[in-house]
Amino acid sequence: MIRITDFSFRYREGAAPAVSGVSLAIGRGEFVGVTGAAGSGKSTLAYAMNGIVPHCYPGDFYGSVEVDGMDTCEAALTDVSCVVGSVCQDVESQFVTSVVEDEVLYGLENFAVPRGEIESRLTRALADMGIADLRERAIASLSGGQKQKVAIASVLALRPKVLVLDEPTAELDPASSLSVFDLLARYARQHGTAVVVVEQKIALLARYADALVVMEEGRIRFADAPAAVLSHDEELVRIGVGCPRSTTLVNRLRAAGVCSGRAARTVREACDVVKEAVA
Amino acid sequence: MIEFKDVRASYERSLPILKGVSFAIRDGEFVAFAGTNGAGKSTAMRLVNGLLKPDAGEVLIDGVPTTALRTSELARRVGFLFQNPDRQICCSTVREELLFGFRALGAADADAEARVDAVIEEFGFAPDDDPFLLNRGARQLLALASVAVLEPSVLVLDEPTTGLDFRECEKVMGIVRGIHARGATVVMVCHDMEVVADYAKRCIVMSDGRVVADGPVFEVLRDHAVLGRASLVPPQIVDISLVLAAESPRLAGTPVARANTVEEMVEAVAAEAGRAGAGAGEVAGEAGVAAAGGAAGEGARRGHCASVRASKSRRVP
Amino acid sequence: MSSFLEYVPGDSMLHRLNPVAKLGAAALFAVACFCSGSLAFLAVLLAAGFLLAASCGMVRQTLGLARAVLAFSLVLAVVQLLTTPAGAQLAPLPWGYIGTGGLLAALTTVVRLVAAAIPLFLVFYATKLNDLTNAAVKVLRVPYRYAFAFTSTVRFIPVFMNDMKGIMEAQTARGVEFDTGGMVKKARLMVPLCVPLLVSSVRKTNSAAIAAEVRGFNLRTVDSGYKGYPLAVRDVAALAACALLVAVSVALGAAG
Repeated sequence: MIRITDFSFRYREGAAPAVSGVSLAIGRGEFVGVTGAAGSGKSTLAYAMNGIVPHCYPGDFYGSVEVDGMDTCEAALTDVSCVVGSVCQDVESQFVTSVVEDEVLYGLENFAVPRGEIESRLTRALADMGIADLRERAIASLSGGQKQKVAIASVLALRPKVLVLDEPTAELDPASSLSVFDLLARYARQHGTAVVVVEQKIALLARYADALVVMEEGRIRFADAPAAVLSHDEELVRIGVGCPRSTTLVNRLRAAGVCSGRAARTVREACDVVKEAVA
Repeated sequence: MIEFKDVRASYERSLPILKGVSFAIRDGEFVAFAGTNGAGKSTAMRLVNGLLKPDAGEVLIDGVPTTALRTSELARRVGFLFQNPDRQICCSTVREELLFGFRALGAADADAEARVDAVIEEFGFAPDDDPFLLNRGARQLLALASVAVLEPSVLVLDEPTTGLDFRECEKVMGIVRGIHARGATVVMVCHDMEVVADYAKRCIVMSDGRVVADGPVFEVLRDHAVLGRASLVPPQIVDISLVLAAESPRLAGTPVARANTVEEMVEAVAAEAGRAGAGAGEVAGEAGVAAAGGAAGEGARRGHCASVRASKSRRVP
Repeated sequence: MSSFLEYVPGDSMLHRLNPVAKLGAAALFAVACFCSGSLAFLAVLLAAGFLLAASCGMVRQTLGLARAVLAFSLVLAVVQLLTTPAGAQLAPLPWGYIGTGGLLAALTTVVRLVAAAIPLFLVFYATKLNDLTNAAVKVLRVPYRYAFAFTSTVRFIPVFMNDMKGIMEAQTARGVEFDTGGMVKKARLMVPLCVPLLVSSVRKTNSAAIAAEVRGFNLRTVDSGYKGYPLAVRDVAALAACALLVAVSVALGAAG
């Protein structure tokens, strides 16, 4: 679905390339987490997938980024947007209307979705994000988590083949963050949509992502299944990513010779490891 | 000393946000406020430094109600770090930014300059940098430094780690810990329960405008009723110990069910594994291996769990 | 908690009117206020404005607005009071006198401005901005680009005001005394705050533009809007009623 080949990008005002020599392939229905320390190029990588780089931020673009067979650099941003839905970091400023229903309608109207289909897509997108009851509400009256879900629903209504989100839970409390990830993971499974999430919260990524991409200074340091990536816990901490405590625990237990096996990603897995160790 | 006495508060007399909140924070405490968005935590913080005055009840700072003090007077005692450093930063160089607080308080003297220079040294800032060109983490650090330089006796932090990466988070919280060690009272709102568990000593949980729990961090974060009511996710190690205690009768009541940190959990599990090994009639190793012992890693690579357990377990007295 | 000019959901008569008709009627109402010099007639219009506010449950917002407009119009009124020596003399001034005529004129100005402002602002509170733009595009054939620029500007007012409040709050917490001293001192304290406000505005407008673009802003045409905005009988009636007000106002002016 997404094929990135030897991609490098330097922002026009930047001295060094933000991303250099990245190659990556993401398949249909995959839920991919992209993480890394601040300034590691993770947002730039996401922007390359949804065409914001180079269409909104000019700079030197090398290599190629293809989404569903389309070169994002050569195609117009509007055409890229038909395939890739994007939710930017600051949801507050990306709303173009003041009511939930209108916000979801906006993209549907613009992309000339047939009238007969609009209502069903609108209801469906709201239901998929679990906010059917918010349809008539003023956006300003919603909580942070609800706003985030509205922003996602307004993009999902366009039925994109790829969904790219930049730090969707940065401002949310743990319960709302969990609920957003839950909905995204379910959506990816049900609709075969590839979901790419740039995220700082490693514990959430570890729990939900099918694959984890860890960036370091513009390059991909790890790109693998979460359990495989997390087994490098010391390395991760060194490059400023951190590790879920469950992973650290199991890795330490393994180092102490109390258990063996692969890295735990979640509390559940860590519990199972401990149970087995003391059985 | 910060005292809330049955405080009720709202913004512009609309919906009540705090519905009768009482607590007292003694000098030198490190207190975290937890709860979902909208529970009233940030509102409580605004009451501490007088940005918001209570509709009813009293907020006392060292025995003086905030209503009797001007906000600028409170600013001398209470330093406040906002969630978004961009709202705080307004000068064109790092040095100016650090001096700004002294200027606002009318105390930009030689002593202030010396303190600013000391902080620049301590934080490793370049004094002539333009704050707006720094990255998010560095701006947060600068915002914290510009509060810390005034040496307030109370430091209030509103989600100090939001938007920071792991390293930046460690750095910011390390500095906060230093400020606390020098005697300041630290009060923070924080969503990251791992940070709460790592740094705070006491935790006040809010839900729907009320305090639903108040006590030592780990006591509060182990209380099922509280966690459910405030939709809190406990820190992972606590979560693991709670799940294990609930699912495995054998582990309930053991140190595993009480472990709060990775270190405690490793030690407890190693001990239990040893007990299990001994109980199963296997030969318990003579050498007591420290929980996270380095050499033990090699044993793990051999791969077979049972044999490793037997050779590495600790003899139970 | 709703802030300045932010849509308040409701089901009142005013909410249900066609957005364009609503705005047109409010504009006519304002014209009526400016055409008449009769204090009694203006008082009636003012009362009508408040009745309208009550009908859609927005008396609180309206009072707040009236206070703001009042403060502004008082400045004008004072100038008028000091520069209109008419009627019986009440107090002598070096260049003339304050008279009952001046007092009346000043009072008229205040009532006129408040009365004219209320319906206009109520329209903004009772209309989704989105409906207003879409209706303007559909009914009046306003090019979408301009309509969007207009809505974005209005939509960002509360956002920026909120930002400004946050910035002032942050500075107050650092000991800046916005609460004491005169206007000049306050203004001087505000100047450095424009930098953070500007930085955050540029960032926000930029990300808003990108967000609109990736959702097909460039593809939008007159026919894109899903909802239709036909003019109903009540819309025509409202427009006619307000046009009548203008006529009455002009007639009163001619008669007086």
